[in-house]
Amino acid sequence: MKICVLGLSGASHEILFSDERLGNIRRLMDLGLYGRLESVFPPTPVPAWMSMTTSQDPGFLGVYGLRNRLDRSYNSATPTPASVHAPALWDAITLQGKKSVLVGVPPNFPPRVLDGISIGCFLTPETSQHEFTYPANLGEKLRELVGDYPVDVKRASNTPSDALVEEIVNMNRKQWEVVRWLIAEQPWDYFHFVDIGLDRVQHAFWTSFDPQNTQFQQGNPYQQVIPDYYQLLDEQIGTVLEMIDDQMIVLVLSEYGAQHLDGLFAVNEWLVNEGLLVLDEQPLSSTTLEKLNVNWAKSKAWAEGNADIFFNVKGREPQGIVPADELEALRQDLKLRFDALTDQSGRRLCAGVSKPSEIYRSVTNVTPDLMIHFDSNWRSIDSVGHGGNYLLQNDLIYDACGYSTDGLFVLYAPNNPLAGEYQGASLLDMAPTLLDLGGYEIPKSMQGKSLVAGMEKKSGSGLSESDEKLIHDRLAGLGYV
Amino acid sequence: MPKKVIVIGLDGLEPTIVESMLERGELPNLAKVRQNGSYRRLQTTYPAQTPVAWSSFATGTNPGGHGIFDFISRDPLTYQPDAALSRFERPKSVLAQSRVVNQRKGVPLWQALTKAGIPSVVLRCPCTFPPEALNGKMLAGVGVPDLRGSQSKGTFYTQDRTVTAQEHEQLLFLDSGPEIVSQVIGPRNTRQNPPTDTTCEIKVRVDKPGRKLLIQTGGTPAGIEVAEKSWSEWVRFRFKFSMLQSVTGIARFYVRQLEPHLEFYVSAINFDPAAPMFPVSSPNEYAKELSEKVGLFSTLGMAEDHNGLNNGRLDEAAYLAQCELILQERERVMRLELDRFTEGFFFTLFDTPDRVQHMMWRFLDREHPSYQPDIAREWEHQVEEHYQRCDRLLSSVLEHVDENTLLIVLSDHGFGSFRRAFDTNTWLCENGLLALRNGRKPAADMGEGFTSVDWSKTYAYAVGLGGIYLNFKGREGAGILDEGTEAERVRKAIQSGLSELPDKQTHRPAIRGVSRREEIYSGEFAGAAPDLLVNFHRGFRVSWQSAVGGFADNLIEDNTRRWSGDHIVDPESVPGILFMNRFASQNHARIIDLAPTILSYLEVGRPDTMEGKSLL
Repeated sequence: MKICVLGLSGASHEILFSDERLGNIRRLMDLGLYGRLESVFPPTPVPAWMSMTTSQDPGFLGVYGLRNRLDRSYNSATPTPASVHAPALWDAITLQGKKSVLVGVPPNFPPRVLDGISIGCFLTPETSQHEFTYPANLGEKLRELVGDYPVDVKRASNTPSDALVEEIVNMNRKQWEVVRWLIAEQPWDYFHFVDIGLDRVQHAFWTSFDPQNTQFQQGNPYQQVIPDYYQLLDEQIGTVLEMIDDQMIVLVLSEYGAQHLDGLFAVNEWLVNEGLLVLDEQPLSSTTLEKLNVNWAKSKAWAEGNADIFFNVKGREPQGIVPADELEALRQDLKLRFDALTDQSGRRLCAGVSKPSEIYRSVTNVTPDLMIHFDSNWRSIDSVGHGGNYLLQNDLIYDACGYSTDGLFVLYAPNNPLAGEYQGASLLDMAPTLLDLGGYEIPKSMQGKSLVAGMEKKSGSGLSESDEKLIHDRLAGLGYV
Repeated sequence: MPKKVIVIGLDGLEPTIVESMLERGELPNLAKVRQNGSYRRLQTTYPAQTPVAWSSFATGTNPGGHGIFDFISRDPLTYQPDAALSRFERPKSVLAQSRVVNQRKGVPLWQALTKAGIPSVVLRCPCTFPPEALNGKMLAGVGVPDLRGSQSKGTFYTQDRTVTAQEHEQLLFLDSGPEIVSQVIGPRNTRQNPPTDTTCEIKVRVDKPGRKLLIQTGGTPAGIEVAEKSWSEWVRFRFKFSMLQSVTGIARFYVRQLEPHLEFYVSAINFDPAAPMFPVSSPNEYAKELSEKVGLFSTLGMAEDHNGLNNGRLDEAAYLAQCELILQERERVMRLELDRFTEGFFFTLFDTPDRVQHMMWRFLDREHPSYQPDIAREWEHQVEEHYQRCDRLLSSVLEHVDENTLLIVLSDHGFGSFRRAFDTNTWLCENGLLALRNGRKPAADMGEGFTSVDWSKTYAYAVGLGGIYLNFKGREGAGILDEGTEAERVRKAIQSGLSELPDKQTHRPAIRGVSRREEIYSGEFAGAAPDLLVNFHRGFRVSWQSAVGGFADNLIEDNTRRWSGDHIVDPESVPGILFMNRFASQNHARIIDLAPTILSYLEVGRPDTMEGKSLL
């Protein structure tokens, strides 16, 4: 059976499940199975989509965030399709000689080579200068269809503005037009699109939308931008539902949810203050980690991306100074110090401080020595030069919303024996569930479980009602008759 | 100063009435327009029907250019009659949404204006449902169904168990007791098998000393008081299809009597302008904006509850009171828009004069079978009073007319008495052109929709308000006729048989003649028209039964309904009216001339499809 996956990056179940105006979503929910979806840690587009499509946790994938160390040098890189070694959904589908179309499923730069089509994601650089599709000549066709194809918004600034709304909506329209064209014109058995615009809208406009946010202002001009974008998505989903038939599987899901943000914590700034990270030159303004002049010969620890803490270990890192036998003690010490952090009101800042091997089934690649799981209303940033550890706002890139580990899913399948609300589904369960309902082999290595494992599949249903009755009613009350 | 065109449509205003009232000085605002401009009788379309004529107004073409030939069409494959203005498309799959498609084709003038960058405000033009994208704003009119998909279907509530349901209504019996629980019937939930009615519970309590009914609506407002013999405000109901899906609709209550039996009425459930089940405006949110500014308003194409009156559930006063409420809603919308109208094209249609005349004509016509001498005196001035009401609403329009404004006031057709109903299908049957299966008798055995017709021996059949179709091989589902001499013989037999056919009872000819499609229609969509069109003399009309593919008891019989006025007769005998604040260069004005007139005034090139000539 064909499978169509529509990813809404960061969609919040609080909004999506409660807004009655989202008629297409509602119809899909009514016909299918829906609920919250427990994301992975860290709950960010990368590695969450990789986990969703492979049913593997980030430890197994060896992808701990957007930036990962590829070796023991002090450099880091963003993942590419080649970073994923675990079999993905589409590999199981290709095994049966079927075709897949992936649009914006990260990571997809350079474009993934597969039996089918892949189109760049938000990690793709400027599409006018780089190949962003597989096959490569498809890029030209997309330009014919919609002009320049945006993989992401360029956002000169991320603060709320009309121009930003317009840019995101414009991207949405182009991407969904391409989605419809692919669905209609290209052969596919597995279709997967990720709308990154929602994530972008939420990170720019959540403060304008959510009264729980301390900076929220009633009556601000951008209060409706987020609900309006959900409505736009609902309309776009509606157009796709019109095109496909009901004898296929449709999954709408988000890889994580959204929450209001109380503030940001500058982890490297804090490490500097704690004397664990030493800089040759204290920056005068906010500066990202990669641009800092770190004195590695004097530094014991630093943080990458989403609060992945690495220790500078003697014999392991090029200029390591922490003796290997002190590593565990340092880990315990830092764990206690992170645990003790509180916000202004005394609430603990960290929901968890863990060694990766404790939270993942297995770990590969260069593994952080500690991973900090901030409370969902707080985020960490790795830049230094803010003049403090606690920030109300990121002055490098405006950020209005926090990540929540609660995503959502709405699953329709004509043969699905389950219907209604489902509790306890995990992002890792989606791939095995789709393969199970679709009649494909589930790779044994997948960590998640099919939600319908072992259940007898249902046979399809259709619409009913006599035309005659319908027409009779349509003429009723005409007056002339 | 940008140029403006303001068009006020007054549906069904009859020239002879207008002219004599003008003579008596009873229509001062129309007189003012005429004085500074011109008045003409306005040639209408074949047939003289609201959706057909206004579509020709909008497109400047004969119906062959826009595809609307009647309120009622038929599916040639199944012979089933259907509502012609919009098509409800059943979803291809359970995932897809049901949708409605406007059946009016061609290029309406607001699209030509849109192309030229000139804005339009189009309010309640028939055949604009669902509304199309345009430069400007549009609110749909005739063609918008109620929440159950009907043209207008109210519900009658009574404690009297001897009452039986009449046509086009729902009947619910009420229990007795201090607090009575009942329900408002919403849309059918077609996703259930079998489909079920969605409902909202209501609780009512009679307050005899206060002469009113207290209603807990379960909607918004939650509690209302409705005095006996009056209409309530709008109540918004939410009908649930499921835990997740629901739709809102609005309705008004009318309290008919509190004792001995409690009886009340609930209007057809209108789409909620703030959240319509299908779009009723363009842009989509426009109807919501209007409802926030002027209050809730009826969205139904035929909002005036003629069925309620026809069935005797509403009396004349109740019906007219409802017409006035509706008129006021539309007047409020018009004023809001005229106040912010600065350039381009403005159109609004007032439907109520048509509805008032349909129902009240019997008091003007002593020869009408449903003339009621006992109450005629009370109501015989209603039609003229309504004309004056229409004239009064023009006074606020005139305030917005400056030297750059072209003002047009028009009706789409005239009006007359509908005394006698002619049953075309009976005539076809009696003349061997339509055959019934073995032993079947026309009136007794035929429901709607040709259930007993023997198509293998049928040459022609009637559906709609005057149309006759030939049973063509390849076009009809069980066609037997080939185009050529045989078909020609059938056409000629019908034309010669019906022309000047006498009504034996009244000794008047019933039918002036029969037009052939090719004589009256041309254009891209002419092929969908009936093959023949019966042009009745004034006083006659096609029967209720033939209109929906059925049979009446007699070939010609009295129209005893309260629906007593009509206009679907020979179009040459029911012209509309045309007032302009400019000189009309042509003496002979046609409704298809209006679109070219408006475009030429606004200096916009006319689409090639437009046939009319500018009257300026």
